[in-house]
Amino acid sequence: MASSGTLTHLFFIVAIFSSSSFNVFSDSGADRVSELLDLQSRSTSGVIHLDDDSVSRFLTSAKTPRPYSLVIFFDAVQLHDKHELHLQELRNEFAIVTNSFITNNQDPSSPSHAKIFFCDIEFKESQTSFSLFGVNALPHIRLIGPNHGLKNSDQMDQGDFARLAESMAEFIESKTKLSIGPIHRPPILSKKQLIFATIAWLIWMPFLIKKILSGKTLLHDPKIWLSGAVFIYFFSVSGAMHNIIRKMPMFLADRGDPSKLIFFYQGSGMQLGAEGFAIGFLYTIVGLLLALVTRVLIKVRNVTVQRLVMIFALFVSFWAVKKVVYLDNWKTGYGVHAFWPSSWS
Amino acid sequence: MAALETSRGTTLRNAFGNVFSFFILILIGVLAFSIRLFSVIKYESVIHEFDPYFNYRVTQFLTKSGIYEFWNWFDDRTWYPLGRVIGGTVYPGLTLTAGTIWWLLNSLNIPLSVETVCVFTAPIFSAFASWATYLLTKEVKGTGAGLTAAALLAMVPSYISRSVAGSYDNEAVAIFALIFTFYLYIKTLNTGSLFYATLNAIAYFYMVCSWGGYTFIINLIPMHVLLCIVTGRYSSRLYVAYAPLVVLGTLLASLVPVVGFNAVMTSEHFASFLVFIIIHVVALVYYIKGVLSEKMFKVAVTLILSLGAIVCCAVIAVLIALVASSPTMGWSGRSLSLLDPTYASKYIPIIASVSEHQPPTWPSYFMDINVLAFLVPAGIIACFSPLSDASSFVVLYIVTSVYFSGVMVRLMLVLAPAACIMSGIALSEAFEVFTRSIKFQLPGSSVHSQVDVGVKSSENSLPQNDVAKTDKTEDTLKERPSRKNRKKEKEPVAVEKPSVRSKIEKKLLVLPLEASIISIFLLVLLGAFYVVHCVWAAAEAYSAPSIVLTSHSHDGLHVFDDFREAYAWLSHNTEVDDKVASWWDYGYQTTAMANRTVIVDNNTWNNTHIATVGTAMSSPEKAAWEIFNSLDVKYVLVVFGGLVGYPSDDINKFLWMVRIGGGVFPHIKEPDYLKDGQYRIDSEATPTMLNCLMYKLSYYRFVETDGKAFDRVRRTEIGKKHFKLTHFEEVFTTHHWMVRIYKLKPPKNRIRGKTKKSKSKSSGTTTKRSRSGKKNPWH
Repeated sequence: MASSGTLTHLFFIVAIFSSSSFNVFSDSGADRVSELLDLQSRSTSGVIHLDDDSVSRFLTSAKTPRPYSLVIFFDAVQLHDKHELHLQELRNEFAIVTNSFITNNQDPSSPSHAKIFFCDIEFKESQTSFSLFGVNALPHIRLIGPNHGLKNSDQMDQGDFARLAESMAEFIESKTKLSIGPIHRPPILSKKQLIFATIAWLIWMPFLIKKILSGKTLLHDPKIWLSGAVFIYFFSVSGAMHNIIRKMPMFLADRGDPSKLIFFYQGSGMQLGAEGFAIGFLYTIVGLLLALVTRVLIKVRNVTVQRLVMIFALFVSFWAVKKVVYLDNWKTGYGVHAFWPSSWS
Repeated sequence: MAALETSRGTTLRNAFGNVFSFFILILIGVLAFSIRLFSVIKYESVIHEFDPYFNYRVTQFLTKSGIYEFWNWFDDRTWYPLGRVIGGTVYPGLTLTAGTIWWLLNSLNIPLSVETVCVFTAPIFSAFASWATYLLTKEVKGTGAGLTAAALLAMVPSYISRSVAGSYDNEAVAIFALIFTFYLYIKTLNTGSLFYATLNAIAYFYMVCSWGGYTFIINLIPMHVLLCIVTGRYSSRLYVAYAPLVVLGTLLASLVPVVGFNAVMTSEHFASFLVFIIIHVVALVYYIKGVLSEKMFKVAVTLILSLGAIVCCAVIAVLIALVASSPTMGWSGRSLSLLDPTYASKYIPIIASVSEHQPPTWPSYFMDINVLAFLVPAGIIACFSPLSDASSFVVLYIVTSVYFSGVMVRLMLVLAPAACIMSGIALSEAFEVFTRSIKFQLPGSSVHSQVDVGVKSSENSLPQNDVAKTDKTEDTLKERPSRKNRKKEKEPVAVEKPSVRSKIEKKLLVLPLEASIISIFLLVLLGAFYVVHCVWAAAEAYSAPSIVLTSHSHDGLHVFDDFREAYAWLSHNTEVDDKVASWWDYGYQTTAMANRTVIVDNNTWNNTHIATVGTAMSSPEKAAWEIFNSLDVKYVLVVFGGLVGYPSDDINKFLWMVRIGGGVFPHIKEPDYLKDGQYRIDSEATPTMLNCLMYKLSYYRFVETDGKAFDRVRRTEIGKKHFKLTHFEEVFTTHHWMVRIYKLKPPKNRIRGKTKKSKSKSSGTTTKRSRSGKKNPWH
């Protein structure tokens, strides 16, 4: 009994000692961790929003080594509409990493619990922090480890977020030696939606088959097929596939004069979106007009209408062909020429 | 007008029309052949580029050793030390075709060389292809459209680019096979004849022999069949056209060694089997419908539907399980990148990097199909009124091919025939309408107008000729079908009636005279522009053989024949069994022209092997020597354009060597060769770049040419001008320095005395050698 009593005493003493030492530290350590955890739980995505004050609270004024690492995503709302930066996309991926980390390390006993916090900073409201970190280009993601100052912390390279959430996680894991765990992506369709769709499809199936058998669907209307075919033709010859695969913008701003827009790009290897659609339209319109004249107009009884429409069609077709030839020569720089007998010139 | 004329006049006119179109077809054939001869006239009768050299070599082997040897040929001249089984890995169609032509000519005592036959195979087959286009379009819309389409196809630039004289590649015969298969399918569909169905399967077999693109056929035809079924156009003719093709075609396809069991195992072919099942179910439904009364049929439908649904579900489940068990879902990377265009750019850099796999921009369409791009929509609309089985097929063909061509510029080749057919239909229809308007409104006799419009009047008379023909086919059809398609018989009759009525009405349907004349003039102008463009494309854009180069400068024409000079040097000055290392681009040419063993070639089947050569080229001299020596390489060949300004040389391809090498051997890192992300070879270049083998072999002694070592391709002075080679010695450099050949120095000998001896022996054989010999560690 006595021995056990001393043991309990000892335990108490140790406990008091440790807690007091903890308290001394708490101003820079445990308090901040719990504060961060609190902020994290309040944020819907798990990403803590930082501003100039909180940066100084959690980073500059906190003594190293800090008991946590911060991963900061530098965001700028005014640049969200610049799609070539992929800011929003990366922000979403960042949130996915955050969520995955939080769900994988919920258990307080796990070694990575509350060791990494994911934060973001908005440019407009925290310009001083941006300059503190020396950030002058976006996208920018930075990992501030327990011993790091602001400027010597690790920056994620382009390559590290190229493969999105997975590569971000790899980067963080390699730098902090903490585990993030598997990435949980939200499924495109939730399970309920999927089941609902299947059931709806199954119910709809017999009706569909019946309709097909009786021949009363849209599929039996040649006009639908016709417009579909012409549309696919238009879509393909306009080079829309090129625009999708290469993610070309519709137009560019002129470098010399930003208020001007460039719609046509010189050089045959590349095209802009609007340019493609314009030419695709020219390609298609001539054939459509020809079909209009030979198929529809011929049934019109009024000769004047026929004449006027034909003149209009001829004029437009001639203009379209001429325009395409001109633009093609301008864009590719080819000089197509005939081979006349040399005595003619 | 047929109604007004006597029957005798009609037959005479028909006969005249037939003879006329026969001569037009011959002329079209001549046109198709001769427009492709620019390369022979401007250069010489020579095989082009890279892949054709391999085909040429295979053909040579075939004609020398016969078909059985060819089938079992194991080639030890390439991919040393692995070798390559040629018989089982090539599409033999082209080779067998050219071999047969050669054999036929020789047995007729016409002694042409194999090379000549190979050079002219492609132009001959383009003539065949235009005739096949005539047949196909005639089945769809009549003789007039057929002739126009054939004439357009004879000179469509997209096809010319792959079939000029000398470009002896698979596509040359495959496009003919493709069109001819489609023609036979349509013919079977129109006639319901088993004879044509069998021919169709054989044509399909020829296509499978010739080109990997046969998967397009085996997916397009099932799609069309499905479309017909879904839109309620099922008929017994459809069944005859499709079922034998699947059964016979698949059996025949699996006879081709390179396809083999792929014909039943890969997902590319599953669509055809699925549709095969569906068409049987549908055929059964139609049969029962014919046998049972209306009421009984309704009962049967519910029964069959539930039963068929179960069977279908089971089959689909099996298919899905089969497909899902393979990693890429059973589809090859290229096919997947067609279905999901962004697939390749995301996952397969090797496919994405090849220039012919890029998505085209709009100028590509104008370059490759020119004014046809304007006419196609009119053709599509013409095919929809009236919509027949045949015309729905060509619409499907153009829609799929135009989509595919939008994904990969290479598939423009498949689009070209479809575009020609559509434009042919559109043009001939427009001419028909306009000439008719002129003919019936022109004061004076109709004979006068006929002379006026010349060729077009013959076209004008042809559609009716075609109507007569379809009449005939319908007649033969009516005898054929049994009880099964009692219902179907109603359809053609219903289609027939309005067409007769519309023929009578046609006379009244005219457009204003002067506007028609202007329209015809503009259409002719459009056609003339097409001809000018095609001739220009054939003469200027697509005729360069790339083995012989020319350049025009102020002092006249320069010819660079360095490649053949180098290959001839190799074949005359090296041992038969010596191994030559070069970047893979030159593998086929080296084996075909120099007859020497190469390490890698254009059949890029082994990435590691290519990476080894890439690593050697990017390593410093000593490491490279060790790699090459381990592969028994005696000579290294590099292509260098810096002196004459030939841009596609090895220095420009060098980053790919680094990338591919680094992909397998991680100690090669691309950033080591780049200065601040830029690829440069001047004094700012990185030391790794300046010390790698490719740099040294390319620029060795380059400073001696002009004293400054100015590279005309990179437009800069090179970084390191004076250096010696330690492990390689220069043995040959061609006239314009475009090809440089180096020999690996023999390994260092451990005994001093012997080294001296060999040194005294070797000294003085070439002046270059003695210069570099001084600091050589091996001596």
